[in-house]
Amino acid sequence: MIVLRRFSQLSSSVRISLIVMLLMAAVSLTLSERVLSRLSENQQSYLEGLANSYLGGVAASVSPSVLRRDSWEIYDTLLRMKPEKVSVLPLETIVTTPDDITLASDLPNRFPTFQPVRSEFLSEFSDDQMQLNTQSELGFQMRPIMLRGDTIGKVYVVFDASSLLEERREVLLALLLTNGALTILFAGIGFLMVRRMVGPMQVLENHLQTATSGGLERIAEHEFPKASRDARRMFSAFNTLVDAEREREMLVDRLGKEERMGSLGRLASGMAHEINNPLGGLLNATDTLDKHGHHEKARREAVTLIRRGLLGIRDIVLAALTTYRLEKGARPFSSQDLDDIALLLRPELKGRAQTLRIKRPDHKPDQRGDYGHLPAAALRQALLNLLLNASKASSQGATIDLKMTEVQGYFLIEIFDQGEGLPEEARQLIEASLASSVPKGSSGLGLWVVRQIADELDGILSVRPNEPTGSVVSMKVPAYRKEALNAAA
Amino acid sequence: MPSLYKWGHLDRRAFIASSASVFVTATAVFAEKSDKDTLRFGLTPVFLNDDIKLLSAIRTYLADATGYAIDLVTRRTYQEVTALLVSGQLDAAWICGYPFVKYRKELELVAVPQWNGKPHYQSYLIAAADRRVTDVMELRGDIHAYSDPDSNSGYLVTQALLHEKGFDPETFFNKVLFTYAHRNVIRAVASGLVQSGSVDGYVWEVLKETDPDLVSKTKVVRKSEWFGFPPVAAVKGQLGTRKIIMLQKALLSSTETEEGRMMLDYLRLSGFGKSPASLFDSVADNVAALRGVL
Repeated sequence: MIVLRRFSQLSSSVRISLIVMLLMAAVSLTLSERVLSRLSENQQSYLEGLANSYLGGVAASVSPSVLRRDSWEIYDTLLRMKPEKVSVLPLETIVTTPDDITLASDLPNRFPTFQPVRSEFLSEFSDDQMQLNTQSELGFQMRPIMLRGDTIGKVYVVFDASSLLEERREVLLALLLTNGALTILFAGIGFLMVRRMVGPMQVLENHLQTATSGGLERIAEHEFPKASRDARRMFSAFNTLVDAEREREMLVDRLGKEERMGSLGRLASGMAHEINNPLGGLLNATDTLDKHGHHEKARREAVTLIRRGLLGIRDIVLAALTTYRLEKGARPFSSQDLDDIALLLRPELKGRAQTLRIKRPDHKPDQRGDYGHLPAAALRQALLNLLLNASKASSQGATIDLKMTEVQGYFLIEIFDQGEGLPEEARQLIEASLASSVPKGSSGLGLWVVRQIADELDGILSVRPNEPTGSVVSMKVPAYRKEALNAAA
Repeated sequence: MPSLYKWGHLDRRAFIASSASVFVTATAVFAEKSDKDTLRFGLTPVFLNDDIKLLSAIRTYLADATGYAIDLVTRRTYQEVTALLVSGQLDAAWICGYPFVKYRKELELVAVPQWNGKPHYQSYLIAAADRRVTDVMELRGDIHAYSDPDSNSGYLVTQALLHEKGFDPETFFNKVLFTYAHRNVIRAVASGLVQSGSVDGYVWEVLKETDPDLVSKTKVVRKSEWFGFPPVAAVKGQLGTRKIIMLQKALLSSTETEEGRMMLDYLRLSGFGKSPASLFDSVADNVAALRGVL
């Protein structure tokens, strides 16, 4: 199963080549088996013919001597008849009585005269046909010596069949080499042909894969196959599709810009609305000062009202500045920025008798005091807004924690407040997958700016409950993204 | 087995002898008249008669020395050559001492070869070279090869020896067989076909020089006493004919010509000499001793 799975993962050209190779190997094996089988039959027939011819000659020549039991004559005849220059040489010839007593052999020392032939030797022979022992490379055949229908003796002959078996081996080797070479050749041709055939599909596949990762490209004219009309038609259709998609993207982009312009309008309107409210209060306060400035209480209330209104306006202006006019020469966020944030928040915190605790990253900042390449202005704004929100949400005398840690190439910034939890609108703004449009109402603007900054820094905002009360808003941003810095700038 | 051979041998011999006695005169006369310029010379397998060069050397020398065309006649057995000689189908023949003794009344000596200067030779009992035997008694129960039932050295001597030692020559060996050539006895022993053999000592010694690979596979277990060397004989009465006189002269003077010496070199003989028939008395003694056994 693993093999089949691996096989299915291979490219088409390799798979088809392998299949061609396997088929060729199967054909080669079948052919080789047939050729060897036929050769074996021919050799057996040839050997039997040779043996019968030799045995016939021997039997005819020695039969008078066998009748007389004349061992010397039989021996002399065997020596005279023994061929010396033939491919299949009779190694041993033994003439016996019908009950296998040796009368003479051409190797008397192996087969003593007038002694019974060894039974293990006789077991190699069959009565009617040649026996070929491929291990010892010997052929064994026996023939009775007949006289007027009676068996007067037997001739046993042992042939050296090594030349025939050697021929078999040579044929086998030749078959293997030839078929192997042909298999590799055809597999190679198959591979090239298939590759040529599926080449256009490969080009199409590459373009489709590029398209899935956002790089939709037309198929260049030089990549069009010259021969295959089907493939050309397919490529043309693909290019038409690409053109249509590009047009759609341009349309979406234009719509996006228009949407952005609309958003700007809504922002300006929102800002005007945000500023208009405190302005009304400010103008009332100035009127109050003008009319009742000499009253201590009225003056203080008017000044407080003016300050609150101005602070609101400052927030709105800061948010707009941060979002749309970030400083060009962005510098990295540093330890000093944390001190600045604490300084800026001091009046706000003091008014509520709140305490800010800052936990800086464990590692020391670099020589310049920078924390990675985070843009200082954007991050300062984001932290300031989050801390202001936390301060507002928390009760009088609460402690607000800012915890900044670096984890595996990210900065995790967490703001702990002791309020009553984030409003649902703010929670949606933080957790939504896409940044929503400018929120209505002043309370959401600071958080909306934070969300914009987090998005531009490739950061992730999240919120979770604080123990025992309050919320923890987290912002996780990559620590070393220069492009983030540039993009933010 | 020995009995089978023996009976076959006696039957054949009786048949050939009787046939020869019927046709001898007519055939001899016919042959003399029909081929008077040809000297028919028989050779028994006692010699190295399978050597074409040797036969050619004998033929060349005898033709030159006698002036006759030489017809060398060879047969497989001593008996066949002897029968041809006795029946007059041969002018002369180189036969063994045993047939000469058997047909003493019909045959006369023409010349006797001399080996190492003497008209004597021995019979050897041989066995395989790697066999640990030193005495003839250790050959008991062997499969034994004889040369020819009409051979002195290749049969008679061993038979007489066993008889003399008190053994039945028929049962001393387990099996016996005849190879009808001394060289074949040596081959049979060397190959292991038989365990021992009776062979002409002269042939064994000559082959030791000319075919050392073969002879080195055998060893001599016993050498017999000296016997008269196989002689050249002719039918009695032919000795005075021109052919036999010329043949005798050629043999006796073979050392004097180049061709003669070449022939003698092939045969490893020192020459031919005249010897009395008593040279073969020791053979005759063996025959007499075995009378009733053979």
